[in-house]
Amino acid sequence: MELKGLFKYLYELLASTGLPQGWVDLIAMVALALVVFGFIALVVLYLVWWERKVSAHTQQRLGPMRTGWHGWYQTVADTIKLLQKEDIRPALVDRPVYFWSPVVIFVAAFMAYVVMPFGDGLIVADLNIGILYIVAITSFTIIGMLMAGWGSNNKYSLLGGMRSAAQVVSYEIPMVVSICSIVLFVGSLSMVDIVQSQAKIYQWFIFRLPFGPLAFIIYLIAGVAETNRTPFDLPEAEQELVSGFNTEYSGMKFSMFFLAEFINMFTVAAIAVTLFFGGWHGPVLPSWMWFIGKTLVLVFVIMWFRWTYPRLRVDHLMEFAWKFLIPVAFINLILAALMKYSGWFNW
Amino acid sequence: MIKLIDGIKNLVIGLMTTGKHLLRHNVTVQYPTQRWEMPERSRGIVVLLSDKETGELNCTVCMLCMRACPASAITIDFEKGEKGKRTLIDFTVDNTICCFCGMCEETCNFAAIKMATMYEFATEDKESLIWHKDKLQEMGRDVPYEKPVRKKPAAKPVAKPAAKPAPDKPADDAKPAAPVETNPPQEKKPEEEPKPAETTAAPEPEKKSEDQSPDEKPPEDQK
Repeated sequence: MELKGLFKYLYELLASTGLPQGWVDLIAMVALALVVFGFIALVVLYLVWWERKVSAHTQQRLGPMRTGWHGWYQTVADTIKLLQKEDIRPALVDRPVYFWSPVVIFVAAFMAYVVMPFGDGLIVADLNIGILYIVAITSFTIIGMLMAGWGSNNKYSLLGGMRSAAQVVSYEIPMVVSICSIVLFVGSLSMVDIVQSQAKIYQWFIFRLPFGPLAFIIYLIAGVAETNRTPFDLPEAEQELVSGFNTEYSGMKFSMFFLAEFINMFTVAAIAVTLFFGGWHGPVLPSWMWFIGKTLVLVFVIMWFRWTYPRLRVDHLMEFAWKFLIPVAFINLILAALMKYSGWFNW
Repeated sequence: MIKLIDGIKNLVIGLMTTGKHLLRHNVTVQYPTQRWEMPERSRGIVVLLSDKETGELNCTVCMLCMRACPASAITIDFEKGEKGKRTLIDFTVDNTICCFCGMCEETCNFAAIKMATMYEFATEDKESLIWHKDKLQEMGRDVPYEKPVRKKPAAKPVAKPAAKPAPDKPADDAKPAAPVETNPPQEKKPEEEPKPAETTAAPEPEKKSEDQSPDEKPPEDQK
């Protein structure tokens, strides 16, 4: 069931057709991009359904039940509906900015999957700056949100965009610092190296006390804040800002935002799995199953947060990031450095 | 530091609470496929009850339900036979104005009218919400009920005083009732007798007698 061999076989099949090397590579690249895109679209469809189920059962409801077994193709129907919707463009929007912001957000969310190690050998490109690349590329989301907020020419959108910019910039720091402590231990930024350094279960960074769990908690909080999910969903706070930066969007463009939000959630969980939970490592089952399984569990935890915690106030949010998370993250980094230096727990 | 630990503890408690609810059985009833088991005494649509053996309507045309109805949803059509005995021609319940108060069921002494547990009678035109005798009888065919048990057959002394305030109708009420199943109140007879008002006892006899005796009129006015 390892998919590594399958992709290699398909590539060799393509190469054996006698096309020039450049064409073979191009076709392989496009095909791979489509595969990743298809996978992500599938995951998002599943996650939306899963989110609705989790929220429903938390409130002792049932959620979607009518479309298929326990409503499993409800999101498919919703997506088709969204695609049919009229693409409304308000009269006074800043047209290019308004048009491109969903694209920027979506591409930023999608690009992170270039270096995502889905399984043993299942990685689009094992860049040697892997995790740095992810941190950098996901930051583009802020630009997209600001563009959406500004371009919409709407006070709620602008407030939402500004809030999200402030929030994401603030929470990026503890997130990166907590990632740094892992990178420090591994000695490499490559995603594959990070996963391979956790081959045994006791090597998982979550079990490397004391800095591992602390780094994970910081990462998780910051990650939830980065994806603008409750309790940090201030950019989209319904009661205050209608829907935040995506208020003026409808139809396809709105679904891009929606898609990007769920992709980002999956990304945060997947990176957490890569960094702290041994990535694709696990017994018996094929590696990609382990990776996706672990990620889905973490995604469930993030959803669980959403249906448990109320939203923070803006000043509390900033205070929490700057006065608490960042100092703790730096202390954690120093701790990790000391442990690395002393060789303690250095399996 | 203590504050921090306390805060973390509370966060975990919150997660546990929602987690518990996540695993708990859900309360949703998926309506068209699943339905509530309505309690026996719930007040749904009004139906007319028939005798289990003969299949005849229990109604004796005493008109109490019609007068008790605060919304005037009940209309009774009857004709007088010899000795003033009434026979039912039509019994109409207008479900568009029925307020489901259950007064008709409470006033009835012959287990002739009842609020069934059925609650689904939505239609697309108002006319079909006005139900006539046959329909009401049909709906009440399978509704379980208990026939009121008459303890004392001698009821005339009670019936007579009631005839005074409303000289015309209650007198008529008493007569057809007597031959069929001796009309007097069932259980609370001793309490009932000193009061002049009621011929008949409903589940709440005292209240009824107060309602009816002071102002000789049907209790619609009070509602």
